[in-house]
Amino acid sequence: MGLFWFYARRGYRVVRNEVLVLPSRVILVLFVMTLLLLPLFTQDAYTLRILILTSIFAILAASWDLLSGYTGQLNFGHALFFGVGAYTAALLNLYVHIPPWGSIPLGGLAAVLAGLVIGIPCLRLRGTYLALTTLAFPIILMGIIFALPGITGGELGVSGLTRLSHSRIGDYYISVGLMLVLCTVMWKITDSNTGIIFHAIREDEVAVRAAGINTTRYKLLAFSLSGFFAGISGGLYAHFMRIAGPSTLEVSMSFTVVIWAIFGGIVTIYGPVGAVFILFPMLEFFRFWPEYRTLMFAGVVLLILLYMPEGILPWIRDKIEVECPRCKIRNVATRKTCRICTASLD
Amino acid sequence: MKKGLAVWSVIGAVCLALTAGFPAWAADDVIKIGVIGPMNFMQGKGHWNGAVMAMEEINAKGGVQVGDKKMKIELIKADSNEFLSITDATNAMELLLTRNKADFVVGGFRTEAVLAMQDVAMDNQKIFIGCGAAHPELCTRVAKDYNRYKYFFRGTPFNSMFLVKTCFIQMATVAGILKKVLNIPKIKVAIVAEKQVWADPMVAATQKTLPKLGMEEVGVWRPSQTATDVTAELSAIESSGAHVIFTIFSASVGITFARQAGELKIPAAQVGINVEAQKEGFWDATQGMGNYVMTMNTYSRDVEVNELTKPFVQGYIDRYGEVPTYTADTYTAILRGIVPAIEKAGSLDSDKVVQAMEAGVPYKSPSGVVDYLKDEQGKPLHDLKWGPGFLTSLGVQWQDGKLVGVWPNKWQPAKGVEVTYKGVVPYKIAPWIIEKYKK
Amino acid sequence: MILDIIITGLISGSVYALLAIGFSLIFGVARIVNIAHTAFYMLAAYCIFFVTQKAGLHPVWGMLAAFVSVTFLGLLAYKLFIDPIREHEGAVLIGTIALAIAMQEFMLLLFSGDYVSVPSLIKGYFAISGVKVFYQQLLTFAMVLVILFALWVLLMKTRLGLAIRSTAEDREVANLMGMNDSRVAMTAMGVSVGLAAITGAVIAPLTILSPFMWTHPLIMVMAVVVLGGMGSIKGSFAGAYILGFAEALVVFLIPQGAFLKGSVALSIMILVLLIRPEGLFGIAFEEER
Repeated sequence: MGLFWFYARRGYRVVRNEVLVLPSRVILVLFVMTLLLLPLFTQDAYTLRILILTSIFAILAASWDLLSGYTGQLNFGHALFFGVGAYTAALLNLYVHIPPWGSIPLGGLAAVLAGLVIGIPCLRLRGTYLALTTLAFPIILMGIIFALPGITGGELGVSGLTRLSHSRIGDYYISVGLMLVLCTVMWKITDSNTGIIFHAIREDEVAVRAAGINTTRYKLLAFSLSGFFAGISGGLYAHFMRIAGPSTLEVSMSFTVVIWAIFGGIVTIYGPVGAVFILFPMLEFFRFWPEYRTLMFAGVVLLILLYMPEGILPWIRDKIEVECPRCKIRNVATRKTCRICTASLD
Repeated sequence: MKKGLAVWSVIGAVCLALTAGFPAWAADDVIKIGVIGPMNFMQGKGHWNGAVMAMEEINAKGGVQVGDKKMKIELIKADSNEFLSITDATNAMELLLTRNKADFVVGGFRTEAVLAMQDVAMDNQKIFIGCGAAHPELCTRVAKDYNRYKYFFRGTPFNSMFLVKTCFIQMATVAGILKKVLNIPKIKVAIVAEKQVWADPMVAATQKTLPKLGMEEVGVWRPSQTATDVTAELSAIESSGAHVIFTIFSASVGITFARQAGELKIPAAQVGINVEAQKEGFWDATQGMGNYVMTMNTYSRDVEVNELTKPFVQGYIDRYGEVPTYTADTYTAILRGIVPAIEKAGSLDSDKVVQAMEAGVPYKSPSGVVDYLKDEQGKPLHDLKWGPGFLTSLGVQWQDGKLVGVWPNKWQPAKGVEVTYKGVVPYKIAPWIIEKYKK
Repeated sequence: MILDIIITGLISGSVYALLAIGFSLIFGVARIVNIAHTAFYMLAAYCIFFVTQKAGLHPVWGMLAAFVSVTFLGLLAYKLFIDPIREHEGAVLIGTIALAIAMQEFMLLLFSGDYVSVPSLIKGYFAISGVKVFYQQLLTFAMVLVILFALWVLLMKTRLGLAIRSTAEDREVANLMGMNDSRVAMTAMGVSVGLAAITGAVIAPLTILSPFMWTHPLIMVMAVVVLGGMGSIKGSFAGAYILGFAEALVVFLIPQGAFLKGSVALSIMILVLLIRPEGLFGIAFEEER
C-alpha cells in the first residue's frame, strides 16, 4: 500500500513539474487521453472509422517526416512504401494465410527492402533531383503490378483479407495504440544520437562527412526506418479496408503525404501527426459540400501556408511557448521570467 | 491576432463537428434509400437520376405499403468519389449506413471500390444493389458465404462473362454483314483491348472463339486506358489487313481510338465494347469522327425491348435531356426490386426483404426480364440471368451523329428462334470500307 | 516501322520539350519546382474548348484567349500565393501542389469530369512512305521549333534574357549587379506559364481533355527535366526527345506492353541518373545556392 502511495506521489510530482508547466505537453497528454478514452463516450462506427484511418495515415506522415524532414532527402514517392507494405501484407495473408499480426510486420520489412532499393540509387542525388527521382518509383511499381495481373489482381487489387480484429473498437485500439507507440519510437529516434546525425545531414552533409561519419550508412538507415514504419501503416490499411489495390501507389497519395507533413511542420514528428488529425477529418467534414470538398481543402492549405509557412503546429507552439534566451528551456508565453534560470523573457 | 483567431475557430469548429455529430433525422415514417456513386461523373449522375425518377413515381402513388402503413421514400445522395479514392468510397458508405441510417443502398461503379463498399454494407447487414460493376467476384462471394453476403444483389449490368458472349454475337453479326455485302471469304479480326485486368479474360476468350466462328485473328493490341495517341496501333492494324476491329474499351482511349481511326479512315469496322461511345457526348468528343462505331449498350433512343422500355427511356430523355446509361438502372432496382419486395415482406427488415427479393424474380424491367442465377451447387448468386427472353442488352451504332440501335435484328440464338427488338435499324458499313473492298 | 518510330518519337518529343522547357526555366531562375505547370497547360486546353465549343469561335481566337488569360492567371496566382512564401522551399512545394489541385477542382466544377475534345486547327492527314501523319502533328512539331527559336532569341539576344540567365546562375550577385531578382522571377514565371499556355493550345487538338489530364504529363515533364539536368534548357530539349523516342520504341516493339511506356521512360531516367547524378547537361549544385 505504501508502495502505491510512493509511486502516486512520484507521479503527481512529475505531472506538476514536468507536464503542467508547458502547454504543449498538456495538449499532448490531453490528446492521448482523448484518443484512448473516446470509445467510452461514443461508439459511432463512422467516427471510429475516421479516427482509425487518421491514425494509420498519421504513422505514414510521421514516417515521411523522419526521412525527408530530418535528413532533408525529399521523398516524393512515399506511396511506394505504403503500397509495398499493403500488397505484401495482403499477399501473405491471402496466399500463405499469415494472420495480421504477422503479415503487417512482414509488410514493414518488405518496405524496408523497398527503401534500400530506392535509397541506394538516390545516394548520389541531391535536392530536387532526389525528389523527382523518388517520384518515379511508385509509378514503375504500378506498371509492374499491372503487368502481373495474375498475382496482383491488376486494377482490382488483392481482396478478401482477414480483419484486424473482431470489432470496430478492437480495430480502433490497435490502430491508435500502434500510432502512439510507433510515433513515440520515431520521436525517440530523432532525440537520440542517430537523430542528431540526421539533423546534421540535412544541415550540411559535407561537414558531417568531414567529421568522419559514414553518411551513406545513415542515409540508408533513414530510408529503411521510414520505409518500415510506412510499410506497417500500409499493412494496417490493407487489413482494415480488407483490400490492397493500386490506389495505394498513386501519385496523389505521395503528394497528399507531403502536403500533410509540410502543412503540419517538418522536422518535428508531432507536426505531421497533428496535421493528419486536422486535415483528414476536415476533408470528411467537408462532405456537406460534396462538389467543393477538394477545392476547399486546397484553399485551406494555400491560406494557411500564406500565414504559417513553417507549418501550423510549430506556429501554434511558438505562440504559446517562448524559449529562454539564456538557458534555452521552453516556457509558457505568459511568463515574464524563465522558470529555471529566472532570466527575463522579453 | 486575427489570423490566430481564424485558425483556432477553424480547429474548434472541426472538433465540435467531430464529436457533436450530424443531426440524425428522427423521422420514422420514411424509407431511406442511399444512392452512392461518383456524383461528379456521368455514372454517378445516372445513379442519382434513375433513383429520383423511381422515388417520384412511388411517392406520387402515395408511397410503399409496409405492413399496415404507407411510407414514402427518401433518397440520400452519397458521393463515393470512387474514381479518385477508395478510402473516400468506404467512408461515404459507412456514413450513409451509420449516420444517415439508410435502409437500403443502390449504386457503385468501380469494381475495386464496390468490393470494399460491399464489405461495409455486409458488416451493417443492409441490402446493397450494385448498379455498375460487372465483375463476377461480387456475386461469387454471395454463393461462397451466403449468410454474410446475401444482402448483395447485382442490379446491372450482367456479369462480364455474359458481356463477352454478347460482344461475340454482335461481332459475328457484323462480320456476317461484311462477308455478305463485300464478298470477303474469311474475315480478319484485330483485337484491341485496354490494358486492364477486366479485359484480360475477354481477350483470351476472344482468341479462342474466333477460329470457331470461322474468323482469323490478326493481332492483339493493348493500349493504356488513358492513351491519347494510338496512331502506332492503328498503322499496325491497317497493315495487318483486318476487316473488323474488336474493341474492349471502358475509358478515354475509346474516344481517342475512334477519333483517330475515323480521321485516318482505317478500313475496318469497329464493334465490341466502347463505354465512351455509349454517351451522347461521344460525337462531339471525337469531333464527328466516331461515325459507324458500334458498341454494346443497354438503352437506345427508339428501341423498345418491352412495353416498359419506352416510358422509362422517354421519361428520362424528357427530364434530363439525354438517353439513360446503364447506371440509371437504379430506377429498376428501386421500383421493381426493392419496393415490391418490401411490400411482399411487409417490413423493412433486411433478412425478410432478401427472401422476398429472391422470391420476387422473374420480373419485367425496361431492359428485359430480371432473374437471378444460382451456381452449380444450387447456391444463390444474386447475379443477373442472360439470354433471349431475359436480359440481352443492345448493340448500338453511331450513324451520322445519332446513336441508333442495330442489334438484336433478326438474331437467331437457337434453331427456330428469332429475336428483333422494336425500333432497331439496319447496320451501316462505313463508305471507306466499301470503297476498299468492293471490286 | 523505323519511320513510324521516328515520326512518333519526334512528335511526342516535341510535346514534352515544349512543356519541359517552361518547367526548367522557372526552376533555373527562381528555384521553384512548379508542380502546377501542367495544370496551367490543362487550363489553356479547357479555355480553347470553351471558346470553340461553347462560344463557337475559330480555334485561333481560342489559342489567343488561352495564352492571354492563362498567363495572367498564372502571374496572379504566383503573386498571391507563391511570392510571399518564396523563402520557404517546403511551403512553396506544397503551395504549387495545392494550386494544381484547386485548378483541377475548378475545371471539374465548370466542365464536369466527362471527357471532351477540341477540333484540330488543320484537319486531315498525309502519308510519308505509307506512314500516316496528321497535319496537326506536323503543326505541333513546327510550333516547337518556332517557339524554341523565339526562346533562344529571347534568352540570348535581349537584355531581359541576360537578366534571366544571370539570375539563374547566381541570384545574389545578379541582385548586386542591379537586377531586381524578384521582378526577374516574376517575368520568368510569366514566360514559363505562357509556354504552358501555348503548349495547351497546340497539343489540345491531339489529346482528350479531362480535369485530371495534368498528372501524366507532369510526371513525364519531371522525368525529362531531371534527365536533361535541372535548369538547363538544352538538357530539357535533349531529354524530351530521348524519352519521346524511348516511348515510341516501346509502343512499336512491344504492342502488348504499350501501357509500360511510362515505366520504361522513368527507368531510363533512373539509369542515367545512376551514372551521372546531375543529369545529362546539368551542373552539380553548390550547397550555398
